[in-house]
Amino acid sequence: MTVAVLLASSLHAQTQIHPEINRTQATTIVRIAVPRPETALPFEAVDAPFFAPLTRDLASSGVFAIAPIPPNVAVNADLAKAANAEFVLSLKINRDEQDVVLEARLIDSGGGSQFARRYRGIPAVLTRMAHMLANDLVRAVNGRPGIFLSHIAFASNRSGFYEIWLMDWDGTNQRQISNHRGLAILPSWSPDNDRMVYTLFSGGRSEMYVINRLGGGRIHVQTGVGLNTSATFSPISNDIAFVGSVNGNPDIYVIRDDATNLRRLTSSYSIESTPEWSPNGRQITFTSGRSGTPQIYVMDAEGTNVQRLSFEGDWNDDATWSPDGEQIAYTSRVSGRFQIRIANVITKQSRIIAGEGSNEQPTWSPDGRWIGFQSNRTGRWQIYRMRVDGTDLTQLTFEGENKDPDWSKKAE
Amino acid sequence: MTKVAKGFIFGLILIVAAIMPACRAKKAPPAPKVVPTETMSTAPPVPVTTTETRVVNPPDFVQPTPQPTITTEPLPSDIETLNRVAEQRGYLQDAFYAFDESTLSGDAQTALTTSANWLRKNPQYNLLIEGHCDERGTEQYNLALGDRRANSAKEYMVALGVDGSRIRTVSYGEERPFDPGHDEAAWAKNRRAHLVIVGK
Repeated sequence: MTVAVLLASSLHAQTQIHPEINRTQATTIVRIAVPRPETALPFEAVDAPFFAPLTRDLASSGVFAIAPIPPNVAVNADLAKAANAEFVLSLKINRDEQDVVLEARLIDSGGGSQFARRYRGIPAVLTRMAHMLANDLVRAVNGRPGIFLSHIAFASNRSGFYEIWLMDWDGTNQRQISNHRGLAILPSWSPDNDRMVYTLFSGGRSEMYVINRLGGGRIHVQTGVGLNTSATFSPISNDIAFVGSVNGNPDIYVIRDDATNLRRLTSSYSIESTPEWSPNGRQITFTSGRSGTPQIYVMDAEGTNVQRLSFEGDWNDDATWSPDGEQIAYTSRVSGRFQIRIANVITKQSRIIAGEGSNEQPTWSPDGRWIGFQSNRTGRWQIYRMRVDGTDLTQLTFEGENKDPDWSKKAE
Repeated sequence: MTKVAKGFIFGLILIVAAIMPACRAKKAPPAPKVVPTETMSTAPPVPVTTTETRVVNPPDFVQPTPQPTITTEPLPSDIETLNRVAEQRGYLQDAFYAFDESTLSGDAQTALTTSANWLRKNPQYNLLIEGHCDERGTEQYNLALGDRRANSAKEYMVALGVDGSRIRTVSYGEERPFDPGHDEAAWAKNRRAHLVIVGK
């Protein structure tokens, strides 16, 4: 890691988060004035790599609203008052030999410093600095981490073959991870954000593979059963749940990531598919055709205590848990079209979000505020994100066809 | 029966077959004389007509499906050409399914019976059955559904006497449609168990 997060001794005493803004304002939007950084560098050198992503992150955070900056006011508490903002973010960027040093300070309208931190690194890490600072500011105000260093794994055919790809949370920095020149689909993150498990079709077989986020460390997990689709890491152990099949009977299986300790969790004659662990690792949702149509069910992680969760829609699949474990999002067919449905796990009350075209494969952001999904509304499969209330829809992919999004579990 | 015994009997048949006409020729009676009969010579001449009748099929006439040409040409040795020829000649026929179904219709059973017969006569080839689905379902469930389709086809062919160890299955779900269209005609083509000859 080339970014060094240094607490300057002069600022150290002021890094404590004021109790007044901790959690109490978690549900309110905090107005913040973000003037341009004070820097000896030309503004163009810091705008695209740093200032633009920082303000984008803050504006999308669901925690901050960016107040317009009135002209000719010094960057201090007066600016907060003039902009009718609760905080001013003071930014100073300077060169120190090969490094760039960022000093960030959150000033409240009374002149108090609510947050102060210094970041150091080579110029190439300015964008990462912006995302780190945005994460730290969200945590300072909200008590929960931001998602600005999270990633979305997905499958794209833009190289001519479906391969596993990664992008940053805002759709930037899209890069190819796998290189099989076959058919690699359905990536799913490990809880430590270091690895992904996915399905590779090659030589008339479908197999389970694990790869690290840099594209190395590739492992073929030989399960000994067929299908090997919908693989997903346990959040608390080295287990991987997946759909296995023997003699044409797809069921939910679990295997350790070293290809040992294979267990079969379901044994119904019907089709079982699409397992997903609850965030505490104690339960697994899955799709089953046992009632006649594909519906969402939940069971304990040992395969016991099966209950049906979905009661609306005649084809439901792709269930995925919110980070707090209270809700599931899934693909639900309504009037012949697939939409994203969000349901409370306990009350089973649900609502539909999304819109045009078919909308499938929802995935939660690590802070539970966003849903990533795939839609064919343009005539091709592309990946989008929207807030859980369906607002702020943003298309993230444009090249080739893109599907199977999976948002990393941790923010960083 | 041993090979030697088989060869001996086959040889014997050849010898007998060669001798038989000769024996018959020796004992053949003299050729019969041809005696014109009266009935033939006194038959009335066939009337000559100039009217012409145009023959057309009735509207409900069903054109019979041409039978695949029976050919003794040897099958091609490379797998890709072999698969094309096997499909063209109707040796291997795919099974098609209804939406969200993996049970075999009458047509699907007929197709698989034809395929199973050919496979039993050609034990040198192994088979891969690919399960496919149309795009109207969800990707993950369709992968499981395609697995069930491929295996329903396999089970049927095994019941007809094809050795199960010669057949492998894979499901592509909706990943590799045969027809990229978005209507029922395309979807119907994409819901199938596709039979592919693979090397031994």
